[in-house]
Amino acid sequence: MSARRWAWRAGSVLVCIALVLAWQAVADARLVSPVFLPPPDKVWRALQRGMASGVLLQKLGGTVLRMIEGWAVASLLGVGLGTLVGASHTARAWLGPTLEFLRPLPASAIIPVAIALFGLSDAMVLGVIGFGALWPMLLATVHGFAAVEPRLYEVSRALGLSRAAVVWKVALPSALPDILAGARLGLTVALVLAGVCEMLAGRDGLGQWILLSARSFRAPDLYAGVVLFGVLGYASALLIGAVERRALRWRG
Amino acid sequence: MTAPIVLRGVGLVLGGLRILQGIDLEIRQGEFACVVGPSGCGKTTLLRALAGLLPPTEGEVLIGGVPVRAPRRDVAVVFQDYSRALLPWRTAAGNVALALETMGMPARAQAARIQDLLARVGLAEHAEKFPGQMSGGMQQRLQIARCLAQEPNVLLMDEPFGALDAMTRQTLQDEVLGLVAERGVTVFFVTHDLEEAAYLGDKVIGLLPRPGRVAKHFTVDLPRPRDQLATRETPEFLRLRRSLFDFMRAAEA
Amino acid sequence: MTRLLRAIAVPAALLLAGEIAMRAAGSSSDALAPPSDVAAALAALLADGEMLRASAETLASALGGLAIGGGVGLLAGLLFGAVPAAARLFAIVVEGIRPIPAVALIPLALILFGFGFRLEIAIVAFAAIWPMLVFTQAAVAAVDTQLLDVARVLRLPLAARLARIVVPFALPRIFVAFRLAFGVALIVAVTVEIAVNPLGLGYGMTMAQQTLRPADMLAYLVWIGVLGFLLNVLLLVVQRTVFGRFLPRGARP
Repeated sequence: MSARRWAWRAGSVLVCIALVLAWQAVADARLVSPVFLPPPDKVWRALQRGMASGVLLQKLGGTVLRMIEGWAVASLLGVGLGTLVGASHTARAWLGPTLEFLRPLPASAIIPVAIALFGLSDAMVLGVIGFGALWPMLLATVHGFAAVEPRLYEVSRALGLSRAAVVWKVALPSALPDILAGARLGLTVALVLAGVCEMLAGRDGLGQWILLSARSFRAPDLYAGVVLFGVLGYASALLIGAVERRALRWRG
Repeated sequence: MTAPIVLRGVGLVLGGLRILQGIDLEIRQGEFACVVGPSGCGKTTLLRALAGLLPPTEGEVLIGGVPVRAPRRDVAVVFQDYSRALLPWRTAAGNVALALETMGMPARAQAARIQDLLARVGLAEHAEKFPGQMSGGMQQRLQIARCLAQEPNVLLMDEPFGALDAMTRQTLQDEVLGLVAERGVTVFFVTHDLEEAAYLGDKVIGLLPRPGRVAKHFTVDLPRPRDQLATRETPEFLRLRRSLFDFMRAAEA
Repeated sequence: MTRLLRAIAVPAALLLAGEIAMRAAGSSSDALAPPSDVAAALAALLADGEMLRASAETLASALGGLAIGGGVGLLAGLLFGAVPAAARLFAIVVEGIRPIPAVALIPLALILFGFGFRLEIAIVAFAAIWPMLVFTQAAVAAVDTQLLDVARVLRLPLAARLARIVVPFALPRIFVAFRLAFGVALIVAVTVEIAVNPLGLGYGMTMAQQTLRPADMLAYLVWIGVLGFLLNVLLLVVQRTVFGRFLPRGARP
């Protein structure tokens, strides 16, 4: 990293530290009740305690597993169905408008239906997370297929590629940037829905942890949970970013 | 390797518009035929009909005596927009491999063939580069390499050098002449550059628009091998150039 | 006309199939209802004002949160776009806070505000900051590079520069940001209602589920979808009519 960029990075870290110090000062001076704004050192200690005793780690693990499970199912279904729909002009023409209509629907709105169907069970949670993460992946895949350079289809015809080869060698790689963007969105949705389901269905995880911490007014534990949520969100974005950089390195 | 191109009474109507009418053409084995004409004369459409990408509404398109109904392995197409005709996520080697994979060549045999083809177009050291990292001229060479991988009898080129700068264009013109000469491939070359048509071709076909039809044949009586400087200074070249320009001027009037 | 028919053909067929299947099965379900029942429930809920009241509550929270969070995001975006140094200094703070899902703040907001509008507005506000910030920052930063150079060359005074270049360029893109943030606000509002908050459409839906009224529950679901769709279309129409000519084709998501 060049010296200038390093300097800006350092400056940014300083701003961060300054804000944390301000937070500490405000909390110590009790300008806001510690029930709502615990000092950062207490939050840090709660985080350490939770991790050391394994409790927070277990909750974190619960949320992560839930999120990944649902997202993985959604990815397979989403890319699979998306490929089937995307690869066929007729399918796109007949199903496209319906899919576009369903795009802005809040995934969380499916929760009551899922509860009605499956009760407050693990199946319900998996179904909700899977369903929620399915749409961004499905729509992104269909869109990626629709946006394939038409000239490449002609080249495929001129070379005599089979239908399957066109999908596998031309359309899917071409749609990959869109699919990865959909995966990114899908992970975000999976995280949100995992949290909501945990709060609603009392499943072992971060969502349940922060809800219980709130109910018992254990603010440092609550904040520690929120921090971990942020870490999860950050790590997901980092992961997809790394995959994107590797898979899309031809973009130069 | 007999592959004469024969068009008999070829007509094409697209979207209610008559693009081509009554095209009768014969291009002999190993001939380099250039096609010129003002905008809208249908030269690209004619090329696509030969490629099997567009079926004619009337008449017959025959390559090697066999009617063209769909794209064929022995007919290779070089498009003008090279950056859109290459797979950006595959390296140069990978792009050439696409043609070999489709031909069913086993992976082990591919490597040697790819190296050979890339060397033939002067891209040997760039095998691991992505098209996005290559200049326009290099990308067009890559497309040509991929086409040669098909081992075609007929090469259809749609204004392949139109988007390139003058120097690169001249270099590639000579390279194409060299590649074609060593394999005896029949070439159908569409261009709007009249000097290029005269320089490259054994004959130049002039089309007129509305409807697209064959208007004039020009025989190119220049010695081979051609030379960018010497050939372009011969009286025969200048005479041919003048005829072609007169044709275009009259056509656009 | 055919396009419209084709667009609704598949969903219509599915609804019909669902209707027949559920009627044929005969037994009533606690979880699902035939489409005709859902339609009837929707009509009833609209007629007695229940659905509209709930919609008003959800929209009030969404717009309230959008005003606050969107406002913060807009101001921060304007600052960060116009003063890149500020953007760079706050980069880590933003990158650290943005990944926190808005729903993770629900328990905190719960102990702060208890159930009700303030809870929902607070969560929506947090969620709405980010789309506004990111897009506004990008819009303003883009003006800097592209058109201010032109302004400088033309020696325009500051007021003219703002009025003639910055505002026409940035404002349409800020509206697009607003449209996207509105979509987010609506989704988050409904999510908060379904998770904890006893008001609005989400609560209506949850209540219907808990009191074993599947037709009502699905009616709420349909209405949420329709409302979101209609509002987005409305904003799109506003975007096109007011800002249409200011946005190049590529910039309109």
